[in-house]
Amino acid sequence: MGRTRLTGRVAAICLMSALTMFCLAACERADTNKEPKTGVAAFYDGRHIRWIIPYSPGGGYDEYARLISPYLEKYTGARVDIYNMPGAGGLRGTNELIGAPKTGLTIGSLNGSAMVVNELAGMRGADYKISEFVFLGRIVSDTRVLVVSLDSGYETFEEIWQAGEEVKIGATGLGGSTYVDAVIANVAFDLQLNVIHGFDSSSVLRQAMLRGDIIGSWGSWGSAQDAVDEGRHKIVLQSGVERMADLADVPTAFEMVEKTADPEYTRAILTAWESLHAVGRPVAVPPGTPPDRVQFLREAFAKALHDPELLAKAQASGRPISYASGEEMTKLVINATQLPDDIKQAFIGAVKGEL
Amino acid sequence: MGIIEGLSSGFLQAVSLDVFPFLFAGAVFGLLIGVIPGLSGHFAMAMIIPFLYSMEPAPGIAFLLGAHSTVAQGGGLTAIFFSTPGTGQNAATLFDGPPMRDKGLGAMAAGAALTACFLGATFGAVALALLLPGLQRIVLFFGPPEIFVLALLALTFVAVLGKEDIIRSLIAALAGLLLAMIGLDNVTNQERFTFGLIELRDGLELVPVILGLFAVAEMFELWVKGGSLTGTQTKILSAKETQKQIFQGVAEAFKHWWLVVRCSSIGAAMGLIPGLGSAPAAFVAYGHAKQSSKSPEEFGKGNIEGVIGSEAANDAVEGGALASTIAFGVPGSSSMAILLGALFILGQETGPIMLTQHVDVIFVMLFTIIIGNLIGMIGGMFLVNPLSRAVGVRASILVPVLLVIVFTGAFAVQRSLFDIGVALFFGIVGYLMNQLGYSRAALLIGFVLGFTVEKNLYLAVQLSGTDFIFDPIPLTLATITLLFLAYNVWTIIRDRRQAKTTRSEQQE
Repeated sequence: MGRTRLTGRVAAICLMSALTMFCLAACERADTNKEPKTGVAAFYDGRHIRWIIPYSPGGGYDEYARLISPYLEKYTGARVDIYNMPGAGGLRGTNELIGAPKTGLTIGSLNGSAMVVNELAGMRGADYKISEFVFLGRIVSDTRVLVVSLDSGYETFEEIWQAGEEVKIGATGLGGSTYVDAVIANVAFDLQLNVIHGFDSSSVLRQAMLRGDIIGSWGSWGSAQDAVDEGRHKIVLQSGVERMADLADVPTAFEMVEKTADPEYTRAILTAWESLHAVGRPVAVPPGTPPDRVQFLREAFAKALHDPELLAKAQASGRPISYASGEEMTKLVINATQLPDDIKQAFIGAVKGEL
Repeated sequence: MGIIEGLSSGFLQAVSLDVFPFLFAGAVFGLLIGVIPGLSGHFAMAMIIPFLYSMEPAPGIAFLLGAHSTVAQGGGLTAIFFSTPGTGQNAATLFDGPPMRDKGLGAMAAGAALTACFLGATFGAVALALLLPGLQRIVLFFGPPEIFVLALLALTFVAVLGKEDIIRSLIAALAGLLLAMIGLDNVTNQERFTFGLIELRDGLELVPVILGLFAVAEMFELWVKGGSLTGTQTKILSAKETQKQIFQGVAEAFKHWWLVVRCSSIGAAMGLIPGLGSAPAAFVAYGHAKQSSKSPEEFGKGNIEGVIGSEAANDAVEGGALASTIAFGVPGSSSMAILLGALFILGQETGPIMLTQHVDVIFVMLFTIIIGNLIGMIGGMFLVNPLSRAVGVRASILVPVLLVIVFTGAFAVQRSLFDIGVALFFGIVGYLMNQLGYSRAALLIGFVLGFTVEKNLYLAVQLSGTDFIFDPIPLTLATITLLFLAYNVWTIIRDRRQAKTTRSEQQE
């Protein structure tokens, strides 16, 4: 009796799953019948693309990928699976990408600016050069900003300039981007700021600013935005040549050039610094991926990043997009890695903490 | 929005039909994740993140925090029945949970642990609600100098935990400090003890280390010993008796309400401080329970106070950890960092904006923690019976099955094969330590706090020179640390002298 009931139940489950599978298969067929695809598009249709994110879920890189992936699905016809692989400052995920099968089914976000800096300084651990990657395009370029706490009493960059040595600004680890920014700015403008490094993350830096331990720190515009909106911090300087639309009343580093003792040198340093930021956050495939698939992915990526719906969402969630094509990215990377010798030495010194 | 208004609105939202199903699903999901060794709250939250993109704020928060809040309850069950911490923060439950199981009181320990978790979480949430008006000022008290001294204070609890054999405990704690040094140094950016492996660059991951030290080591021991986890002395209880024991355990937790309050305060206070995390909180609470107990010699041999103390602190941490996240968007733990990312996805802003305009969202979080833990407590009770039966399975079957689960847990944290090796290595280390009488808890405390101590000491000295120790808060805390240490050293000497005199009396 018990046995028959069990058999009956198993049969029912089998039947139901068979029905479900049939329905799914039918749906899929109906879908493909709509527009028959040929060539590369047929290859991608219904396949899974693995998108490697070298950082944890919930972070900026992850959010961008999750924002963009539905649109990438829309224009490739493939399913996009986000694969977080944090560790070693992005190195683990990047190594995974370079070692992935060259089928065009694995793509990855890169922390471009940090990769260039590490390469300049000859950091160990990566067995590739950033220029080896084949770029699909750039999601966003870096805009770096100098943030100070409102309670610090400093309101403009000029005031900080005149303040001298007793002013402390914070940074994460030696060689981290907030540290490199601080030291490079010190070199470019001949600032005497005391850079205290060793803070864990941008959020710990914020706490230290609120406590008054430090007056401010460098950081990405994305992470500074919230704190500024809350009205506790103020941005006094932004990197770049022209002012960003969202930061129309904040001077750029280049606007300060004429006020320095040696404008030419300052401009050279800032230009190199800017080429670094231009690399930003690209998406790439491993070298050796078939060219027709690269071409297809590049086009899909371009369409996705120009989709008005995506742009509206990005705007609403405070995640700006500044697209650059794969070809442009290759040039930007070359531009950033081939610096004039004296400028390069200054950068290496900054990264290694020798300045 | 006023606090009262926010409170009622938050409560109504949490129990509304739009939100409660998600809260329930999250809480059950978290409980199951917690039962599986190695999968922690942080993992449960990461799995939920992709769903949030299409959700409204309140259900999204309830789903996410509901899962996070019950993980420790599930983990406590695994700790008691399988001598394997379900999550990192349940490691302290291992001292008295499994010995109770061996006495045939496993279900009672489980009932007490589940209830203590619920009470602790409620305490933590209420504490946070009471702190709300002055929250921002309170969080700002803790900078590098204060965190440094507090971490040092937490380190001295090694003295309480390892009183029986202070030399071996010190060796273990110092070995833990040494292990904490592995990885990229925050300050100089130099690699230390990484042997050129990029897998070691971020240091050893906490979860595989805990799984190795406790779970894998326990499996080795069981494997060597044979038989089953319960040994031969106890028979499997009937479902009815199990039920009776669970309710006895619940009653015990309420009976020790004063202990629950004290341990919850420790948990909530330590949660408040960014970077301390919940694993040390449970150990410190355990140490406190032992210190203040009438029968400290029974600790480690199946004293229910040990289970209640550490589990209460476990979940009280959440209320505290939420505080710094809400007040300034400064996450106190990796789970809170994920929560912060999730809040951003859900379009919520932390800081003054949330404190003044979205108080209801804060209360949705608080009620999620309380209701989630209540669901976890009731749901957990249903798991006690099957789990307590599985314990009787003989080692040759149980060990391979549990090892597969444990290694999967170790892998899942970072999708790293290397971490399986880490778990295996620390399994051997843990087994040897246990055989030779070294305290694994002391090693773990050293490991967890080592980096915090070092990093904050450096920052404190950089910011205000060595004089920072004379600032009011650090000075007070440092004095407490010294007094605490002195008292414990004194009791150790006294006990030793007493032991000596009784021994010589016996010889006469």
